[in-house]
Amino acid sequence: MLSPFRITEVSAHCDLPCGVYDPAQARIEAESVKMICQKVADNDDADFRVRATIIKEQRSELVKHHLWVLWTDYFKPPHFEKYPNLHTLFNEATKLAGASGTKGEFDEAKADELLAKIEEISTIFWETKKA
Amino acid sequence: MTTRRALALVRVRGRSMLPTYRDGDVLLVLRGGRPRPGRAHVVDLPPDPAGRPRPLAVKRVTGRDPGDPARWWVDADNPAEGVTSFDVGGLPDEAIRAVVLGLVWRGLG
Repeated sequence: MLSPFRITEVSAHCDLPCGVYDPAQARIEAESVKMICQKVADNDDADFRVRATIIKEQRSELVKHHLWVLWTDYFKPPHFEKYPNLHTLFNEATKLAGASGTKGEFDEAKADELLAKIEEISTIFWETKKA
Repeated sequence: MTTRRALALVRVRGRSMLPTYRDGDVLLVLRGGRPRPGRAHVVDLPPDPAGRPRPLAVKRVTGRDPGDPARWWVDADNPAEGVTSFDVGGLPDEAIRAVVLGLVWRGLG
């Protein structure tokens, strides 16, 4: 296979079937977002609030990223057949992490809604793992 | 790496070895020597959790597996990407197929 006369392709890739998925990645980022909302409510320091805003934006984006990876890479057509609400759940969850949700506001209730959606996705995820 | 020493050429696919090696880079590798901690190597990764084989990969051997001194710990140079020993554990001697000697060709851009 390894030869000086032909070039063998070697992978330095992530998006190969590494097969490691876990909704905990999205949950942990969403928990950060919630904690940032709490901390900002108790802090009037302008610099702190700017940093909190930037970091909350980044963490919210990571929530979306991790959810999209699950949506597109982990879940397969049979899962969507078995759980017809799955598409809607992902749509609603990623919206809650977007500009109309935790990106746009310092609203702890929005973060809780987001965490609840991720939990619903997580429940389905672990059911599919048992199957 | 127990086979006779021999040179080979490989082409990198993916971004997990950035910034050292880019997608498309052609590397000269040497089979049959001992793993050299600190250098990039061509390695066999174990199958994924669904049992599907993973392709031959390029990873950096950082040293012995801290949990099992008979095995080798591999990592990606790009912390944002790549399957590493954090995912698959240490690798046995026979999974370390070749050591990367250097870059022999890189595309423009």
